Amino acid sequence: MPIELLQPDEWYVLGAIALLVVCTFLTRASYHLFGHRIPLGEGVRRALRYAPAAALTAIIVPALLPWSTQGFTATIDEKIVAALVAIWIFKRTRNNLAMIVGGMAVFWVMRAIFG
Amino acid sequence: MSDSPNHSLQAERKKAIREGLLAVRPALVATFTWGLVTGVAMVKSGLTENAAIAMTLLVYAGTAQLTSLPLIASGAPLWLIFAAGLIVNLRFLIFSAALQPYFRDLPWFKRLAYGYFTTDMSFVLFMPRFGDATPKGTPYQRWFFLSTIAPGWLTWQSSSMLGIMLGTLVPTSWALDFAAVLALMAITIPLANSRPMLVAMLAAGVTAWVAQPLPLRLGLLAAVVVGIVAGIWAEKSYKKARR
Repeated sequence: MPIELLQPDEWYVLGAIALLVVCTFLTRASYHLFGHRIPLGEGVRRALRYAPAAALTAIIVPALLPWSTQGFTATIDEKIVAALVAIWIFKRTRNNLAMIVGGMAVFWVMRAIFG
Repeated sequence: MSDSPNHSLQAERKKAIREGLLAVRPALVATFTWGLVTGVAMVKSGLTENAAIAMTLLVYAGTAQLTSLPLIASGAPLWLIFAAGLIVNLRFLIFSAALQPYFRDLPWFKRLAYGYFTTDMSFVLFMPRFGDATPKGTPYQRWFFLSTIAPGWLTWQSSSMLGIMLGTLVPTSWALDFAAVLALMAITIPLANSRPMLVAMLAAGVTAWVAQPLPLRLGLLAAVVVGIVAGIWAEKSYKKARR
């Protein structure tokens, strides 16, 4: 690849990284820097408790069950099956790595059979 | 000589560093695996090697990195990536509020550095030991903290680099970007530790699924709002039911 100015999508990725760095500082160092001038009431704390789990779930669900091209029906494929097996493995073993490796294994096997 | 203040300070520092290193050591295996998975996931979700290296060195936040990958892959707007990064890292805001008293008499750049390098593990190891300590902010406490975050940083960064290298070697046909989704699931499932939390997550999941055709992946924000409302509602109704 010849050396050239960054491609538009490279600027996009760079921008995303820069903003995520700002996220890291804002969340981890806000109180370190500004002390308790930022109020953190009980109501806010309670709302904050649910937000991360909700956001993570909302990232995962469309990745596992994307809409089919006709709309409003899920594309059921090896991903959702592998994910369900992975959840089962995690419940049994409480082991992150076993879950990821087991999930990938099921995914590969199913793809080899049906894919 | 051995009773001079300088000497006892050194001995105390040594003791704090030793205690910190011993405390963090068992956790480093998990840090290593996690860094490895995140490293592989970054390059397999479409980041170039350089972008992945920049991301791990600068962002230093596994959950936010993994969350951003599907968003970057689908071309979501930058402000939404920013919002998602903030939301999944909110726990650190609570950590920062709790840790702030221990660092408040330091100059601002040191406070910034201590904040930036804070990890889940360092917080979990620090608070049971020094949560009720008086006074807060002794050199011993800060040396302990430092010796839990430094090995964590080194382990995370070296395993991430290893993961990035491995990721470039593995062919795309292995579909290891799915491992990134599984890794996110491994972060998310243990969060479902109460019934209101489970309700919040179910509500968020359903919303995110139904809202898929919304442009710019705005369904993510809708799901967060619905999840928070559902969680608080469930908390209140379970409390009422118990009375």
